[in-house]
Amino acid sequence: MFKMITYVFSGLLSILKGLGITWNNMFRKAVTLQYPLQKPVMTERFRGLVDLIPEKCIACSQCVKICPTAALDLTSAVNPETKKKSPCTFVFNGELCCFCGLCQEVCPTSAIFLNNIYEAAYYKHEDMLKIDLLKVDKYAHLAPKKACPCSKTSETRK
Amino acid sequence: MIAHYLPYLKLLLKGVCVLSFIAVSAMFLIWLERKVSAKVQNRLGPMITGPHGSLQSIADTVKLLLKENIVPSGADRLTWWLAPFFVTVPPVTAFLCMPFGPTFIVRDLNVGILFICSITSICVLGIFMAGWGSNNKYSLLGGMRSAAQIISYEVPLLLSALVVIMEAGTLSMQGIVHAQEPCWFFLKPNLFVAFVIYLISATAEVNRVPFDIPEAESELVAGYHTEYSGMKFAMFFVAEYTNLFIISAVAASLFLGGWLGPIRPSAGWFLLKAYVVIAFLMWIRWTLPRVRMDQMMSFAWKVLTPVALLNVLVTGWLLVAKG
Repeated sequence: MFKMITYVFSGLLSILKGLGITWNNMFRKAVTLQYPLQKPVMTERFRGLVDLIPEKCIACSQCVKICPTAALDLTSAVNPETKKKSPCTFVFNGELCCFCGLCQEVCPTSAIFLNNIYEAAYYKHEDMLKIDLLKVDKYAHLAPKKACPCSKTSETRK
Repeated sequence: MIAHYLPYLKLLLKGVCVLSFIAVSAMFLIWLERKVSAKVQNRLGPMITGPHGSLQSIADTVKLLLKENIVPSGADRLTWWLAPFFVTVPPVTAFLCMPFGPTFIVRDLNVGILFICSITSICVLGIFMAGWGSNNKYSLLGGMRSAAQIISYEVPLLLSALVVIMEAGTLSMQGIVHAQEPCWFFLKPNLFVAFVIYLISATAEVNRVPFDIPEAESELVAGYHTEYSGMKFAMFFVAEYTNLFIISAVAASLFLGGWLGPIRPSAGWFLLKAYVVIAFLMWIRWTLPRVRMDQMMSFAWKVLTPVALLNVLVTGWLLVAKG
């Protein structure tokens, strides 16, 4: 009998404790983001789509060699005046990319990098297969409205 | 000629008022439940339809009205069709003697509380019919569990109501509210115990968490209303939330002074108290896990019923001592 009473009372106490926890939770800010309306800001080191700053690229082909899924395709030419190599075409196959970030690690001039775009959906299959990295507005239709996809040092991270 | 029909017209109007109140209240409660659950779990809940998702229930109702009504093969047609009505009609009938205000009551029966308790226990019949008629093992199990649970918890529920009846000396709902004019009943220690017992057994009575064994999602899909769709499902839903309102309203009138309040709109006080009880029950629902079947049964028969009986005994002694 006594055991039963203590059992009931300890159960009652635990219920009160639980109620206290949920009461406190009720006044906390919701963590939900209303996704299509509010978009999460990705961190600086987020690995999104492969991006390129064409002026920095020296066409060394290291990224093409290290890419484990052969998602990059580069052709280059030497400028006869300055004797410097520069990319002629630089095509990125978004379907093959595994977002490992090895191209970013190996790039000697930090020209190639992974930006913070995470909504990598296209209307046409072909659009995804051949992304011209030399075009400036290549991700303009995908880019989040606030954060600039081309700036490597994202200022949105605090 | 018109004067002859006037009382009937008046009754019809009252009926329409009650029905529309039930529908709106159920829709509001469903929205409130979703919002409370979201708050407890640090979510937002419905946000898109209307400001803060306030029109979500209306959208859901429209969707349910347009949905196909699917009858499972091998269903016991008659029971299957009748079950939603058996579940929905008793809570609607219980509004007959719900005291919203000193004169704001459809009919103040002299056996008010007894009427409410007996009419709402017809619900279990509908639930069992739904479970049996669906030709589905989960529905049947849900119905059986529900029957066992509701019949067990009826005992402490009525015993705690009995304490109020002894204290008030009347069965009429208005009489009980009037008896609380000097002091609300839940402020007296023996009636506070009755209040707690009433709340626990009423939660079990309407199959809410922590006593939602009949519709335990993780075990029984949705229990007795697994096979229902469209408006029939909506009727189960409306019945569930109307029952919730009724137990809270009865708790408010039996223990919290009903429509008694310091300022005028007495119906406002009644609704406020009822909704406070509902909010408390929602808070409980999103806090506690489900109890096991054997725990629930042993709690009803080994803890609640003896305590309620003892409470009746103590109240009797107190009343005799007072003379």
